[in-house]
Amino acid sequence: MAPFDAELLLSCRDLVAGHGRTAVLRDVTLQVRAGEFWFLLGTNATGKSTLLATLLGVLPPLRGVAGYGPGSGCAELGYVPQRCELAQNLPTTAHELVALGLVGLPLSRAERDERVADALGQVGLREQAHRSYWSMSGGQRQRVIVARALARRPRLLCVDEPMSHLDLVTERALLELFARRNREEGLAIVYVSHDVAVAAALATHVALVHHGGLEAGPADALLDAAKLEQAYGAPVPVAPIPGFERTRPRLLPIGGAS
Amino acid sequence: MIEAFRDAWALFGDSWLAAWLVALLLSVIGVFVVVRDQIFVGAAIAQASTLGIALGLCLGSEWSSEGSFFRSDSFLSIVAVLFAVATALVTARGGAARFESHEAITGFIFLLGGSGALLVIAHSPHGLDDVQRLLASSGIGATRRDVFVLALLCATTLAFVAWRRRELLLFAIDPATARALGVRRRADLMAAAWLGLALGLSMRVSGMLYAFGCLVLPALIAKSLCRAALPMFVAAPLIAVVASMAAAWLGHAGDFNQAQVAVALLCGLLAAAWGGRALRGR
Repeated sequence: MAPFDAELLLSCRDLVAGHGRTAVLRDVTLQVRAGEFWFLLGTNATGKSTLLATLLGVLPPLRGVAGYGPGSGCAELGYVPQRCELAQNLPTTAHELVALGLVGLPLSRAERDERVADALGQVGLREQAHRSYWSMSGGQRQRVIVARALARRPRLLCVDEPMSHLDLVTERALLELFARRNREEGLAIVYVSHDVAVAAALATHVALVHHGGLEAGPADALLDAAKLEQAYGAPVPVAPIPGFERTRPRLLPIGGAS
Repeated sequence: MIEAFRDAWALFGDSWLAAWLVALLLSVIGVFVVVRDQIFVGAAIAQASTLGIALGLCLGSEWSSEGSFFRSDSFLSIVAVLFAVATALVTARGGAARFESHEAITGFIFLLGGSGALLVIAHSPHGLDDVQRLLASSGIGATRRDVFVLALLCATTLAFVAWRRRELLLFAIDPATARALGVRRRADLMAAAWLGLALGLSMRVSGMLYAFGCLVLPALIAKSLCRAALPMFVAAPLIAVVASMAAAWLGHAGDFNQAQVAVALLCGLLAAAWGGRALRGR
């Protein structure tokens, strides 16, 4: 029997992930522990989101095993999906959407309200709690979805390419927020992206997804020119992001801009 | 007028009760359908259920003797529910498996059900009338057993929705996140089966126009009136039941078909709600 590993939050072994009967990724083995900041990197349509969905039980594994660690479960998970497409004009507010993220947690109404207000505050939308979701900009809506994940006060945060609707300031501010939570509270993060520069600034671990497989390990070992060229099929320059180093965090206020 | 309505209770009481229970049941489930933006699925299921009833009528009249089970109301209810559940599962499964879009599958089933139901029964002397009555909801005919079964379904549905409304709403809005947060992967099929069961049974009792109207119109009205999604689970059934009761009274007073009055009333309310929303948006 494997020894109890309280730090292990999410893992898979010999996993084959895909849609229907079509395998997209084969023989994937991965372990995510508390305090780690994982980036799943790769070009479009290589299976990054499919892998994350399989790890979280959204898609069934075609083979192998995937799931939470021994002391973990979906109660400790915050999830920011790639898309959240609401029916046109569905009446809803930021408060209601964030509160929906608390499903499955035994909370009183007061605790729920407190968590929702706190999560909306973290993404700079506390004052907008009762505003209609549809009157918000694309960036504000995306921040509501991030708040929905943070409201669970997770030990593991899984984020699937969330920055597509965001302007640069808000994107930076959210990344800073994730980095701070990771550094100060040991929040484990699995972040699907194709932005190598952001990964170079924040990742402790990297999984390069390419050619139907996965290469995983510490960021320092995998973020080198040869491995990135192999994964992306072309040379990938990794430019540092000024003022955005892991060791010198500079928090940006999230506010007016969407 | 109220006295006349009360006097007619002995004759129409079960039918009115069944109609109100259908309104209550389908309007609650309709919130889920409207939030998922799958209104046409309801029409396809209702149409497929009509095909089931047409096949049941055909089987009963052609291949069984008078008094046999295949000529009973129970048999027709069973085939209506079976066809409705099968359709709901096929549309849910087909869309999830990315075999084809939900719209394509529901469109196919809607057309197959509509044409098939009329063709199957085309040469039957009474069958065609029965199917046309069913499509237009020309008569709500319910037995005491129908009322009992509908009441049971209503109670189960309301209890479940009250208990799990947040999970239901999250699942309707964002199924991937709901699954990641612990809602069962099979919830999609379970929801589809429940929709099929409720709609199939309601179809047999009240016909397509009324069943489909009660499924989508109250939820659409609630969608226009509410500021948040969860209150729709309260507003929609309230609107449906009040409209259905008013329709029973108006229909009885004016000698109109209550199902058609109810649908017209709900359409009027929806138009008013849309108008109100447009004015608020200015």
